[in-house]
Amino acid sequence: MRIPLLVSVVGLQAALAAPPAPQNPRKQVPAKVVSLRVLPAGPTLRGAGTAVRFLAMAKYTDGVERDVTALAEPALSDPKVAEVGPGGRVVAKADGETVLRARFGGHTAQTRVKVIQADKPRPFSFAREVGGILTKKGCNTSDCHGGVKGQGGLKLSGNATQPKDDYHYIVKGGVFQVLTTESGGPVLPRIDPKDPEKSLLLLKPSMQVPHGGGQRFAKGSPDYDRLLAWVRQGAPFGEESTEAAVRTESVEVLPGETILDASGRQQLIVLAKLSDGTVEDVTTEASYTVSDIHVAKVNADGLATAMQPGETAVVVRAAGHAVSQMVSVVSKPAPDYPAVKSYNYIDDHILAKLRKLNIVPSGLATDSEFLRRVCLDLAGTLPPPERVREFLASKNPRKRELLIDALLDSPEFVEFWTFRLGEILRYRARSTQLMKDTQIYGEWIRESVAANKPFDRIVRERIAAEGYAGPSRYYYELRFLAEPPEIIAEQTRLFLGRRIECARCHNHPFESWSQDQFWGLAAFYGSMVDLRNSVMDDSVVIDVPEAAAKVIHPRTKKTVQPRFLDGTALAKEAQEDPRRNLAEWVTAHPYFAETLANRAWDWFFGRGIVEPVDDFRSTNPATHPELLAAMAKDIREHGYDLKYLMKLIVSSRTYQTSGIPNETNRGDRTNWSHVVPKALEAAVLLDAIATVTGVREQMGEMPLQSRAIEICPDMVESKFLEAYGRNDRATLPEAKPQPGLVQALHMITGPTYTTKMLDDGGRIDRMARSGVSNRQAIEDLYLTALARFPEPAEIEQLDTLMRSASSRKEAIFNLMWALVSSRGFAYRH
Amino acid sequence: MNETRYWHRRNFLRVGGLSYLGMSLPQYLRAAAAKEAAGVATAGKAQACILVWLSGGPPQMDTWDPKPNSNFKTISTNTAGIQISELFPRVAKLMDRLSIIRSMHTEENNHPEGTYYGMTGHRPNPTMRFPSFGSIIGKELGSRHDVPPYVVTPPQSYPHSYNAGFIGPQYDPLVVPDPNQEDFKIPDLTLPKSLTPELIETRQAFLRVVDKRIRDKEEFAEFSNMDAYQEQALRMILAPNVRKAFDLTLEPPKDREAYGRSRFGQSMLLARRLVEAGCRFVTAEGYEHSEWDTHFKNDEILRRDLAPKLDQALSVLVNDLDQRGLLKTTVVVVMGEFGRTPNINPEGGRDHWANCWSLLIGGGGIRGGCVVGSSDAAAGYVATRMVTQGDLFATIYKALGIDPAKIYHAPGGRPVYIANSIGDKRGTPVQELL
Repeated sequence: MRIPLLVSVVGLQAALAAPPAPQNPRKQVPAKVVSLRVLPAGPTLRGAGTAVRFLAMAKYTDGVERDVTALAEPALSDPKVAEVGPGGRVVAKADGETVLRARFGGHTAQTRVKVIQADKPRPFSFAREVGGILTKKGCNTSDCHGGVKGQGGLKLSGNATQPKDDYHYIVKGGVFQVLTTESGGPVLPRIDPKDPEKSLLLLKPSMQVPHGGGQRFAKGSPDYDRLLAWVRQGAPFGEESTEAAVRTESVEVLPGETILDASGRQQLIVLAKLSDGTVEDVTTEASYTVSDIHVAKVNADGLATAMQPGETAVVVRAAGHAVSQMVSVVSKPAPDYPAVKSYNYIDDHILAKLRKLNIVPSGLATDSEFLRRVCLDLAGTLPPPERVREFLASKNPRKRELLIDALLDSPEFVEFWTFRLGEILRYRARSTQLMKDTQIYGEWIRESVAANKPFDRIVRERIAAEGYAGPSRYYYELRFLAEPPEIIAEQTRLFLGRRIECARCHNHPFESWSQDQFWGLAAFYGSMVDLRNSVMDDSVVIDVPEAAAKVIHPRTKKTVQPRFLDGTALAKEAQEDPRRNLAEWVTAHPYFAETLANRAWDWFFGRGIVEPVDDFRSTNPATHPELLAAMAKDIREHGYDLKYLMKLIVSSRTYQTSGIPNETNRGDRTNWSHVVPKALEAAVLLDAIATVTGVREQMGEMPLQSRAIEICPDMVESKFLEAYGRNDRATLPEAKPQPGLVQALHMITGPTYTTKMLDDGGRIDRMARSGVSNRQAIEDLYLTALARFPEPAEIEQLDTLMRSASSRKEAIFNLMWALVSSRGFAYRH
Repeated sequence: MNETRYWHRRNFLRVGGLSYLGMSLPQYLRAAAAKEAAGVATAGKAQACILVWLSGGPPQMDTWDPKPNSNFKTISTNTAGIQISELFPRVAKLMDRLSIIRSMHTEENNHPEGTYYGMTGHRPNPTMRFPSFGSIIGKELGSRHDVPPYVVTPPQSYPHSYNAGFIGPQYDPLVVPDPNQEDFKIPDLTLPKSLTPELIETRQAFLRVVDKRIRDKEEFAEFSNMDAYQEQALRMILAPNVRKAFDLTLEPPKDREAYGRSRFGQSMLLARRLVEAGCRFVTAEGYEHSEWDTHFKNDEILRRDLAPKLDQALSVLVNDLDQRGLLKTTVVVVMGEFGRTPNINPEGGRDHWANCWSLLIGGGGIRGGCVVGSSDAAAGYVATRMVTQGDLFATIYKALGIDPAKIYHAPGGRPVYIANSIGDKRGTPVQELL
């Protein structure tokens, strides 16, 4: 049958296939229906024949919402406007409005359906139609033609995000080159208008000629026919070639948050939302990728099937967009799910999701757990044993809050957060090779922390830093100004949470960052000039646009002007001061607050809500997107006050939860049902060991009282710190501290763990000479190292072991070694 | 779309993915165990690689690519048609087993960047830490006989160039101190005198008591991984073969003399012992920081200090490996981070020059007696057959049985070739040498 090209084939194809029915929920579910809703809500369809699938979702008393579409008895109030067609879809017929009603389990739900332009044929769009096939069939994945250089001389854009380029390479031909706009090979069109069936675009994917990618569709299949028809019609670009054309603005996956029970199935609907307010059902045109196939599977028609409890991301690619959807599979409902009280809005979000997942949060951390945890997290320091005794003995109901306030006001807080900010602001010596330059940069950080300077101000000060100002030293690498593309890649990652460095050389293969966007931002750094005359002068950096080397786009070879991400150019009057303008834009950008919220979360929980912490992308969904948004809003409203943010987090019940899991939440790593151990940073661990052993490590040339968190990593060599994975700050921190062989060796043979502990004046020496009893020694050391009293069983066993030592010193030595080598010591938990 | 294929090749999803149970046993230990179980041989002929690192950058025209602008004469070697600088009469007798690449072209002209480039094939970048090829080889081949697979001796300039970058600190090298010292020992592998195996066991007993409470809380992958590393560490410390490999006092004094009683000579000797014991990649440096960096008095320093040590130690090393049957399984590479300028500067020195330089390579199935590529009349620019750092890596990987086209995925999902060449292209093995 000849398929009329100008009628949208999308809807037609969708109408031809029957959706598989989810299993009959009535038979399997013991709970009762609480409410019913219909999705999508209030769609507007354009053109007669356009069809959209719908979902009827029933919420049950067991908290799970289930897909009951197959049993929902749908009806439309005005059959002239639209009717329920084959496969349970709503098919548009004539202009007007109608109501779709569904019934199930004694409940009714409804939504309005509007139809416009029913008499006009759906205009053709290469981007949607052909681009859709290229995405669905996997032609444009980054392994194949969507890779950086394409495949076999054909380059397509990932997810068909650049339809004009795709059109060019298919219709005109040419070979993509990374570093130039010229074609790198024979200009070979992939279509043959004179003999359409001989188009490579058809011959290759149907394997009529050899094709490295294998068969993507068969000759005569609907996709094949569609492409053939397109070539026969002269291969038009269609609608989106004009400015006023209707575009796909976004893609949404319904029903949104998807939680399945162990035997559950959920039909997903993928809706393309167009710029004219209408929607299109692209469910069968989308490609689905599941990140953890053990948790759930999704087939080519968007039907999700639960496999085992857990959470997975499903990445949906359609119509030039990629979005991801979390799919969770819950374990059996917990009988008598307890009521858990929130301390602040963080808990509201965390607890609500735990409830939906049928995961019961653990109880509160003991005072001792909380004390050690919050001292390390806020001040990077173990609580002294006297404080431990005090805190554990205190009956003050507000003691935790008072402790938090005391820590926030402590000098150790300033030191610790100077260290933590130093890690991400890359405070190190190599950049300048001059001690004074290093010092003023470090001092600026310390002053900012001590004054609780708002974070947006800190960031603006550094981005726009000039002259002799401390933060301007950041721009130097070995006394030369760093290059704009490197600066912008790092800053975007650090402050906006996005990794756009791929777009330096080509359009980002997975996300929609373009090379032009990257270089437009890089150009803001293109005016920096170092005013010094000779190697002996002080470095002074300012913006002098006329004098600076131009920023050249590596592909077009043209000079790039500063442009914000949305393409707006920097205003003429602002061009004298590009970095100040960039700084304002960065700190006002919505990504800024959410990245700070995410980073703060990672600081206190060991994992971001988006993880890795600076890798927000459509294919890396947040575990709690609403919480992140709420925190971002809160941060903005409180002027980016870091102490406020930290207090908010550590005051939450979520932070104060125990580390002991229960049956329902054992193994949970992404929902904060219980606190997960987090390795101490190398410097914090070294300082903690020094506290317990009473022997300071000599930090290079620094005074003996110096702590490891004070030093610049490239100023002081330290085997211990290297073994424990300290960041060298030549790049942004990448890896979290991980156990390794060198650490293990060090724990057995390293001086920190052996001979150093025996130093005169150290704790072992003092304890051995003072004649303290075993029990007293055990208690003192437990309080110092672990911030808790030892249990009777521990005392018994350790006492016995100590008594068989050959000397007092050895007994205490062994005990101390065990304590500082234990996981309970080296981790915050 | 085939989901399985997607899952395996699109690692970036795993980064953002949510595996229910957290990470599993370190791949490193599993690979090591598997390799041990499968027998020692790798897929290629070579089992190990020794990198003789000439820190500072040797002058190509005064060493392996003699040209009229050198003040030294040329001498023949034991391979017809190959001539090298008169400064290396003993190396001249190795030319049947070693080959020369005269058309190396790299992109960094200063020491820190050049060293990083020489180890990783990438230019330094503040958003990404690339792994050194020693880390990659250690990761791909795994440990043999509990010997640390990747050793750097002695501690180097720009140590982070030698590290594992984004593939994880567990692939960082074991760095050992100056082997020429009287009391040379590896601190990490040496039990302090007071610490006996019995005491170690006692301490483990203390540790079990102290750690019980947190271990009982929950199975946490990082804790059990540390246990695995502890076991391996103990084996390394207590196993006699590892201690012996590092114990230079076991070497007959005349052999120690033969290599030269210098930091460089003893590093070469240690490299041989380590390879013998099962190490996969050893960096034998020993020259002082940037000692080859002859900005002043190039000729004098070469003749007096630099060349004699190299000439002696390299010839002893190659012959020693050969006699022990190790040369056919050990790739030997002799290079610096770049070459030196064709012109001599006013102080009688030569400055940095990455455009065209030379290196020596042989052993491990790599053909000897070849010259790859050529330079112009002043050894300033590549004339024929350019070879990049990525090509060099690809050649070494191929010899070791590692797929030279292999790709790692960096954080963020970016695919990175293990043999990264100029312009992000993939390095290709130098077929003339294989």
